[in-house]
Amino acid sequence: MSAWLESAIARGQDNSDWLAPKRAHALELLSATKWPTRKTEAWRYTPLRPIERSKAVPVENQTGLLPLAIDGLNAIELAFVNGQLDKVQLADTLPEGLTIALGSELSPEQQASALQEFSTIKPERHLFGLVNDALVNDVVIVSVEENVKIDEPVRISSLLSQGAESHTRVLVSLEAGARLTVIEDVQAQGDSLSTAFVEYNIAPKAYLEHYRFALQTGSNLAVGGCHFNLHDHAKMNSTIVAFGSELSRLDTDIIHAGEFADAKLNAMYLLDDKELFDLHATVEHAMPNGTTEENVRCIVADRARAVFNGRIHIHKDAQKTLAELNNRNLLLSDKAEINTKPELEIYADDVRCAHGATVAQIDKQALYYLQTRGVSRAKAQVMLNFGFINELIDLMPNETLAEWIRPIIRERFAQMEVM
Amino acid sequence: MSNSNNLLTIKDLYASVEEKQILKGLDLEVKPGEVHAIMGPNGAGKSTMGYVLSGREGYTVDSGSVVLGGEDLLDMETEERARAGLFLAFQYPVEIPGVSNLEFLKASVDAQREARGEEAISSADFLKEAKAACKKVDLPISFLKRGVNEGFSGGEKKRNELMQMLLLQPKLCILDETDSGLDIDALQVVAEGVNSQRSSDRSFIVVTHYQRLLDYIKPDFVHVLSNGKIVKSGDASLAQELEAQGYAWLQTEPTEDELEG
Amino acid sequence: MTEQIDKALAREYEAGFVSDVESETFAPGLDESVIQRISKMKGEPEWMLEWRLGAFRDWLQMEEPDWALVDYPKIDFQAISYYSAPKSMKDKPKSLDEVDPELLRTYEKLGIPLIEQQMLAGVAVDAVFDSVSVVTTFREKLEEAGVIFCPISEAIQKYPDLVKKYLGSVVAKKDNYYSALNCAVFTDGSFVYIPKGTRCPMELSTYFRINEQNTGQFERTLIIADEGSHVSYLEGCTAPQRDENQLHAAVVELVAMDDAEIKYSTVQNWYPGDEDGKGGIYNFVTKRGVCHTNAKISWTQVETGSAVTWKYPSCVLKGDNSVGEFYSVALTRGRQQADTGTKMIHLGKNTKSTIIAKGISAGKSNGSYRGLVRMAAGAEGARNFTQCDSLLIGDQCGAHTFPYVESRNPSAIIEHEATTSKVSDEQMFLCQQRGLDPEKAVSMIVNGFCKEVFKELPMEFAVEAGKLLEISLEGSVG
Repeated sequence: MSAWLESAIARGQDNSDWLAPKRAHALELLSATKWPTRKTEAWRYTPLRPIERSKAVPVENQTGLLPLAIDGLNAIELAFVNGQLDKVQLADTLPEGLTIALGSELSPEQQASALQEFSTIKPERHLFGLVNDALVNDVVIVSVEENVKIDEPVRISSLLSQGAESHTRVLVSLEAGARLTVIEDVQAQGDSLSTAFVEYNIAPKAYLEHYRFALQTGSNLAVGGCHFNLHDHAKMNSTIVAFGSELSRLDTDIIHAGEFADAKLNAMYLLDDKELFDLHATVEHAMPNGTTEENVRCIVADRARAVFNGRIHIHKDAQKTLAELNNRNLLLSDKAEINTKPELEIYADDVRCAHGATVAQIDKQALYYLQTRGVSRAKAQVMLNFGFINELIDLMPNETLAEWIRPIIRERFAQMEVM
Repeated sequence: MSNSNNLLTIKDLYASVEEKQILKGLDLEVKPGEVHAIMGPNGAGKSTMGYVLSGREGYTVDSGSVVLGGEDLLDMETEERARAGLFLAFQYPVEIPGVSNLEFLKASVDAQREARGEEAISSADFLKEAKAACKKVDLPISFLKRGVNEGFSGGEKKRNELMQMLLLQPKLCILDETDSGLDIDALQVVAEGVNSQRSSDRSFIVVTHYQRLLDYIKPDFVHVLSNGKIVKSGDASLAQELEAQGYAWLQTEPTEDELEG
Repeated sequence: MTEQIDKALAREYEAGFVSDVESETFAPGLDESVIQRISKMKGEPEWMLEWRLGAFRDWLQMEEPDWALVDYPKIDFQAISYYSAPKSMKDKPKSLDEVDPELLRTYEKLGIPLIEQQMLAGVAVDAVFDSVSVVTTFREKLEEAGVIFCPISEAIQKYPDLVKKYLGSVVAKKDNYYSALNCAVFTDGSFVYIPKGTRCPMELSTYFRINEQNTGQFERTLIIADEGSHVSYLEGCTAPQRDENQLHAAVVELVAMDDAEIKYSTVQNWYPGDEDGKGGIYNFVTKRGVCHTNAKISWTQVETGSAVTWKYPSCVLKGDNSVGEFYSVALTRGRQQADTGTKMIHLGKNTKSTIIAKGISAGKSNGSYRGLVRMAAGAEGARNFTQCDSLLIGDQCGAHTFPYVESRNPSAIIEHEATTSKVSDEQMFLCQQRGLDPEKAVSMIVNGFCKEVFKELPMEFAVEAGKLLEISLEGSVG
């Protein structure tokens, strides 16, 4: 066990609020957990030394942090500042059928029902998910009533000041036939450490459109998770855009808990400098007739390291499942690393599952083609890199977000050193 | 001696791919405004010529020289050659998903204008020009938004090549088997596009296996390329002769049958 | 339909008989004295014993690996006998006439005649029975070509310099738990040396047979192909049908010097246990080859036997332009579990590797492909292509794919693809509508699925492998 985890466990024990039963359970599991090493499969390529050495501490009452403006986006804005919900104008302005509340402010009955869902979608195997269970001091609960379609996206930003440690937790519930868009994003000033976990319960025929922008870079440490539970005929479409940092790790779990559910996940990451980004994407097909389509693309420059683990698990009863994973990686430098592991674990015979993974350089023919038209090699490389990612940006259902992220990504490519 | 009025002068060019020599003493002179057709059997080195002139990686010049508009072409990077006015229309244009046709065209035009010291064209003006070019080659405007050649049919790819030529206004166009895979209608569209670009300061090298294309694009000269060099030159009538006879007569080495007989 | 296919796959294990041979067998148990006794039985030099003891001390410090997707009760290493040999072998028979006829009959029954008149032309065989090599055929003919093919116990005495230099050079003693155990207690196996520029005039083959109860078989094979040489080697293996599990922990090392080529084929047919998972061999094997400049190593395996398989024949592509290949068919049925695959470690420039793995899972079995492709920083221009296909037969089995892809070189290209499919009702219907019975239909579909791998096997074995799958489908559909 590491000193960091020991101190986390000690701090978790101080608290005795409405989350206490869940916290106690998490602490019990944590006490029995071995601190991961290189030999721990889930952390094989992502050493935890930066967390062991982190000097980040909880910071209270920090003001002056504002979420990044997204041009043209008309969203319902929620912001965590150093882990505390900044609940300025949450009250009456919400559209009908949408409620956003802090768990601690609910009635005991409501709290009891929230506890029924809390930490049931997020699998217990995630070490930092347990840390979050233990250290989070409140839960933001977002719910959409039956058959209500919310047009305005709900944006949940997490803002971190220099050296801050933060633990945030959101529980999103879409009742039957509901529709919602959620945007998660982060801004951090450096040397921060955050755990950020969101659980989504998507009832029959509900539809979730989801975005996670993990754009923190530099010395920030980030560990988080997005966990989705899909019931009968539920649908989700998730887009993840990530840059790397000294340590940035995201675990996604898509659980087909009902029949005929449909999940799409498009993830892209662009790493530069000495950054690391590690995406562990798990799909559990527990019920029949589900479909999953995952596209993961990654570009790694300089001394950066990219890790991807894409697991598709088809349970015995999940007949007629269609699941596909496509993972493509571009390695731009001889100091960079790509470690990718697409996995299939299949226990049903009448399914169609496939995965493909490639690691390569930029397509030389395309590079030549651009050059024959007079485009310089450097510019052509930027264009091709961008094009590789742009294919996934084109798939983003929300055009405002696509238009917002495109120039940000283009700018990042323009700065990347290519060989 | 090469004529200083030439737009292009290729002298005794030897070039290899993967250590196999393909061009073996190629000579060719092209004056401004001329249209030269290069014909020849498969494997003669027709496509190689275009790749070598454009500076494709993996195509090594062993000896010889190539001068375009007074400049040593072989000294330049691929993009510099393009900016110097060389345009290669590919037989099989590559698909580049994720990079829109419009973005690609704008980047190309910008790069070339910059190289010529001209001012950058505004996005709005460029869009107008691109739309006009699109119309001219009979492609729907929506093709400007699609990825470069992505999912285009064979004919659409060729027309997209032509559109690039219209926008880039090169000095020398090499059309590499532009007729392959085209039906007669598409062939006419391409030929009309090319003919509309013929002018006294623009030259063409039309590389083709069949005479068919030359019915629509009338060449001033026809050359037969065989085993890496030009073995016969003539006027347009040579193309018809070739069509009638095929390329078998080029077999300069006696065949085994002949030796035994 | 599934039921029909299942029946079609159920089969008799034809090699399940026990030979009535009087053996000298060590009492179960493992400590340094056992290792000393093995070494003494083999008449080994002191350095070999020291090597073994070193490995044993390492092994004691190591832990059994648990990352494979296989599940079996903890092995009691003290309940295993580490040496067993027919008493008749004690005097080291000089010729075939002196070999116990019962031993010869055993191999004949297995389709490996060792008697001169019946020997397979073009295949030299080293027949290993429990812990000893019974006979090695065609030795003189091979010697004429300068090829050494003999039991490894003999090589340790006759060619100590070669053995000292290469034993443990590809698979380090401490490489893994089972390899360390093998180093400590290995008993026999084959040694091959192909001199410079020599093309081995015939196929070399080792046939491993476990006979005695409660014994483990710890084979050790070392093949050295010197510069510019070529050899094709194949191994087969079977064991009697018993209710107890038996351990087979082998280590195979291949060394392909500059411009050399080694083709290593395996048809693994150890006793798989019965339909309920009782009995069967635990097949925990470490196989690895190193390729020097321009060398090539090609592994082909057809895995149909064993209760549990844990096996990853690998290539270290050390030299520039070297080539590694892995072609595999793994069929599991009943309660069999197989976790098998390969590692391709690209170190040199322009190295190439190809992986084609076909898994067929039926009954209540589980088959996993586990592979690693690593492009080291120096692997300029290296390429890998991997294709893993799984075929599931029935809804009680599992088929899994765990590929690790690691790249440190931007000019290296890696392509990995995996698919899964089933024998569809439509396919079966079509075959049956055209007049094929279900067994034939399944066997045809399965054989078609495996074709890419079968074509890599040497002729004699391709036929055997095809038959092996076919036998499993024969005469059992009612």
